[in-house]
Amino acid sequence: MTTPNSSRDVILSDIARALAQPVSNSDAIAAEARALIGDPDAARPALLDKSCVESFMARVAGPKVGATIDRIGTIGDLPAAVARFLAGSGNGRLVAIQPTFMLTGLDWHGSGIGLTDTIDDCVVVGLATWGIAETGSLVFHSASDMPVLYNFLGAVHIVAVHAGGIVAHLEDYAVAARIAGDPAPRNVCLITGASGTTDIEGSLVKGAHGPRHLHVILIGEAAGR
Amino acid sequence: MVRVLDRSFTARADAALANPTLKIAIERTAGTAERKRADAIGDFPQFGTACERGRRIKDHVTDNLGYYLQEFERNAIASGATVHWARTSEEACQIVIGICKAAGAKRVTRSKSMLGEEIGLPHALQAAGIERVETDLAEHIVQLADEAPSHIVWPAMHKTREDVAALFKKMHKTAPLSDDIPGLVASARRDLRAKFLSADVGISGANFLIADTGAVCTVTNEGNAELTTTPPRIHIVTAGIEKLVPSIDHAFVLLRLLVRSATGGDFTQYTTFHCGPKRRGDADGPEAFHIVLVDNGRTRMLAQGLKEMLRCIRCGACMNHCVVYRQIGGHAYGGTYPGPMGSVLTPALDGLAKSHDLPHACTLNGKCAEVCPVEIPLPTLLRGWRDRSWKEGLEPKTVRAGLGVWALMATRPALYRLATTMGVQVMRLFSRAGWIKWMPLTGGWTRYRNFPAPQRTTFIAAYKAQRKDTAR
Repeated sequence: MTTPNSSRDVILSDIARALAQPVSNSDAIAAEARALIGDPDAARPALLDKSCVESFMARVAGPKVGATIDRIGTIGDLPAAVARFLAGSGNGRLVAIQPTFMLTGLDWHGSGIGLTDTIDDCVVVGLATWGIAETGSLVFHSASDMPVLYNFLGAVHIVAVHAGGIVAHLEDYAVAARIAGDPAPRNVCLITGASGTTDIEGSLVKGAHGPRHLHVILIGEAAGR
Repeated sequence: MVRVLDRSFTARADAALANPTLKIAIERTAGTAERKRADAIGDFPQFGTACERGRRIKDHVTDNLGYYLQEFERNAIASGATVHWARTSEEACQIVIGICKAAGAKRVTRSKSMLGEEIGLPHALQAAGIERVETDLAEHIVQLADEAPSHIVWPAMHKTREDVAALFKKMHKTAPLSDDIPGLVASARRDLRAKFLSADVGISGANFLIADTGAVCTVTNEGNAELTTTPPRIHIVTAGIEKLVPSIDHAFVLLRLLVRSATGGDFTQYTTFHCGPKRRGDADGPEAFHIVLVDNGRTRMLAQGLKEMLRCIRCGACMNHCVVYRQIGGHAYGGTYPGPMGSVLTPALDGLAKSHDLPHACTLNGKCAEVCPVEIPLPTLLRGWRDRSWKEGLEPKTVRAGLGVWALMATRPALYRLATTMGVQVMRLFSRAGWIKWMPLTGGWTRYRNFPAPQRTTFIAAYKAQRKDTAR
């Protein structure tokens, strides 16, 4: 509930007085707001490739996102792909996996991977719901099986995403999320690279507070939406 | 931390110009930002259209500000948040401190927010005896150095890596393992990690407030906003009332502009929409979520012809491209916001009497307006403040007298021509190889750079001579 506070009324009346114009009705305001985002292609960059999925992968591996990438056929291949990455990365064989049944049900031990509950400065494996080709972003919605901190406390962030979950533009993600019946999750995180900073002399350093490295694994080759 | 509006702008600028490393530090970051922005916009041919759309979105929100504030409030409350309204910075700080005290908070983490700086929240927390941990790397640096931010995107722009190395050696529990930039970043990571996880309250700002969901958007490259707002029991958001957008789709239009204009990236590493406290079944998140909507002069700006300034999305492009900022850095401006946008905002926030010299710290070259992603006519707004300052009699007597003498001559053409002809001859006496290194009464200029020698005659004399030649 709103804290009883006359400041609210003062601010709203100061605004009304300053604008000195009749307040439009809500339908007119909504129509004007919608018109402002019509024809979105006129005000957003084109994709790097005709295919959404290929654009996404090119963006993710490009210099602006700076992630490494891999592709697998089905989610069952994920432990082997993670093992492949770990073998070349010098990060050991121990990972913390996001507590979703889609990952916990996989055969990790069969690929020689040990599991840990510790996420602090460890290798963390997550499953993004969507990928956005325009920016190379991975989208997570917080939930009982998606703790927010899994994306931020690890030293290495490995994220799997289904090819069918790749959308073209930022606005397409908003549409997809609304269709999924999740109009406003508590926490929506668009992750577009590893944690970085340019705060000292504008020089980019990875691993500011969160993961030093992002590795993206694409599942399946289905065409993106 | 030192807020320095009590000294004159000239004194502050003199101190900045006398600092031997300041210009090096500014150039290293602002120069890179300028180049990266140009590259990012080169890759985005639709940028001009996007800017125009961004401007229209911001204007639409301002024109319907009361409507959107109430829509946001309704949806934020429905998400479980508590919404507070503050007319002034003092009221905003009291609300935040009140929440912290009621929760028995001893340690507060804070994710960089210029609104927080504007309302003096760091000082208020300190005065209330609450430990404040700044989590943005640059804010961590300025907190350790007990300084104020000098840039709205890179608060420690005034520090070289050598400065930061010396600071961390002195202030971090474990000294940095190396003095290079990766070594310094690793040292800050080590120092801050435990503090993130042990804070009672996390305070963030908002880059956007989403009216149709009640969500609050933060953008960072470090991930410190999420680490600040997720582990503590309470998340407090302090946001200016102009931060509203109708929906996430409108935020996306502005995010494309904000990131490119600020850092030259295409999108921040972490763009997060926070909507209310932890829900049933959520694995983590704050138990309470408070949003403080702050006016602090914004409705006054709306009433006083500064509506266009409420478009500002705090990208910092205007200062990165400002010839004055690049010489003197942010501290010389004295207020919370430096550079061209600061010279418009500071008189509105702190009063023109204290800051009337800021609108003069500008060559009116128009570069700030050219790079502004929401098309704020900054030079026009600066001229507006100059005009008001003159009308309110705030300009110093010497300036008024000087302009009076100039007006006396400018309205008497013969006298004007005589004076300028004599002036040119005097200046030429001090010229060597086309430059003047020293001349009486011009120390303010020649102390820092040479003055170009004038042509042999005045413009009027040259013009007359040319017309005479043409007539022959």
